[in-house]
Amino acid sequence: MTATLVLEEVARHFGGVPAVDKVSLQVPAGQITGLIGPNGAGKTTVVNLITGLLHLSSGKVLLDGRDVSREEAPDLARAGVARTFQNIRLVADASVLENVVAGFHRHEKAGLWANLLGLPSARAEARQMNERAMALLERFGMAALAEHRSGGLSYGHQRRIEMMRALATEPRLLLLDEPVAGMNDAEAESLAGIFRSVAASGVAVLLIEHNMRFVMSLCSQLYVLASGRLIAEGLPEAVGRDPKVVEAYLGA
Amino acid sequence: MMNFFYTYQSLFDHILVYALLAMSQYVVLRAGVFSLGTAGFAALGAYGCALLITKAGWPPFAAIVAGTVLGTVASALLAFPLSRLRGVFQAVATLALVQIVLSATQNWVSVTNGALGVNGIPKVAGTGVLLSVVVVVVLLLVAMGRYSVGRAMDVIREDETVAVSLGISVPYYHRIAFILSGLLAGLGGALQATSSYAITPGEFGFGMLVATLAMVVLGGRTSVWGALVGAAILTTLPELFRVFADYRNVVQGILLMLVIVYLPRGVADTVIAMLRDRRLRRRTVRLPADAVASGAASVGAAPVSSSIDAGVHA
Repeated sequence: MTATLVLEEVARHFGGVPAVDKVSLQVPAGQITGLIGPNGAGKTTVVNLITGLLHLSSGKVLLDGRDVSREEAPDLARAGVARTFQNIRLVADASVLENVVAGFHRHEKAGLWANLLGLPSARAEARQMNERAMALLERFGMAALAEHRSGGLSYGHQRRIEMMRALATEPRLLLLDEPVAGMNDAEAESLAGIFRSVAASGVAVLLIEHNMRFVMSLCSQLYVLASGRLIAEGLPEAVGRDPKVVEAYLGA
Repeated sequence: MMNFFYTYQSLFDHILVYALLAMSQYVVLRAGVFSLGTAGFAALGAYGCALLITKAGWPPFAAIVAGTVLGTVASALLAFPLSRLRGVFQAVATLALVQIVLSATQNWVSVTNGALGVNGIPKVAGTGVLLSVVVVVVLLLVAMGRYSVGRAMDVIREDETVAVSLGISVPYYHRIAFILSGLLAGLGGALQATSSYAITPGEFGFGMLVATLAMVVLGGRTSVWGALVGAAILTTLPELFRVFADYRNVVQGILLMLVIVYLPRGVADTVIAMLRDRRLRRRTVRLPADAVASGAASVGAAPVSSSIDAGVHA
């Protein structure tokens, strides 16, 4: 069985500068795969290439064995690719609930006219989406904040909203771009539990981080990126001892 | 009371027509389309309607519908190339449309009478008609804002990158917003022609473009009430300051600057946000403390109370 996401020698150059150079990796369903590396290693560029925000200079991206290298971002999202953003990106003036409901977009079926005119089918769908979003809020312990303006909440809460929005799309592949940056250990640990349960439900999860400790405890497979190239891959313990990885991180 | 109403009836009609034009501008801004086309589509609707009545002898009602259709069709044709552009390029493209329509109204004398405009249009759109049209349009826009389409437009306006990663097709919603905008502007123009006996090219120029834009900025961009409040304020203001008629534009400009600095979200949006915050604060007070705490307890050491306060006071 092939992995949900396969990158084959993916490269992206900006002008003459290679940001990502011949990166190959696999993200199987039901597991958390880690992609780590120092700042500027090209981790977010990899995410942007997978989600179609950037196009490849060469190489291939396969989703469930299908070549999606040339597909546009909205099509990939509809095919089940979801992500969170390293710098939080929410509709600040909208409530927490509204932000999460936006994630259900690809599952909405009521027609344009029903939505424009507020016909019963659109209303019924809106009610159903609200209920599903509330269930997600319960799971993340944020039900009490459902109607608050999302822009006014704390950093940790805003990160959680991003995650709920990504999960609302019911993805087959979830890309988490530094999801616990700036969180304390207790907050990070509570999210780790959620990541594990998402993966256990059969979703392929790619976790981008530079917090080594957090990644070690979660991932079943690790890839290490430095200056746009993969410098190590394998089981977390082995990678953690790899002298090349230690050098990239500590500059020793 | 009735005397007061009759004195200001024409002002009230004027507010209602401008409310339609402001809502036309609101629809595009809400979806993150930087269109300045409202004045152009309004001119198309007004001239189409007025000429069909005075030159072709159409019944006024049919001519109003035709003026609306003209605005809609023109915006639909322009929507496809326009949805490939963004930001300031959309502004320039729609500005070009306004210029083209305006030169046609000024220079195609055999049809439009040039600078003299079209006179002798029967006044069929009285206060009652205008008010009912505005009410219907407001109801439709409120419905649109509440469901999937409005939500998608909000995400697009706020952050296109997020929109595409949620599977929202930006060009599709840009086109919907732009066509709706053309429809409302065409309707507003046709009603302006049939409520004021005469139209001239000057009414649809740069002044209208700036006025509709200013109304939405002043009132607020996210709720339809913003367009209504903006239209009411900016149409009434010149009447209140009639003594300073020479400085009308100065007063308007100062007011706009004050709003941008002190109420950047616009009058109506700020009030709506305040009401919501107050409602939430009341509810938080009424909730037993442990109910709020247990909501966030499962996520560990999150600073529950402080973040709720932040949400309320923000």
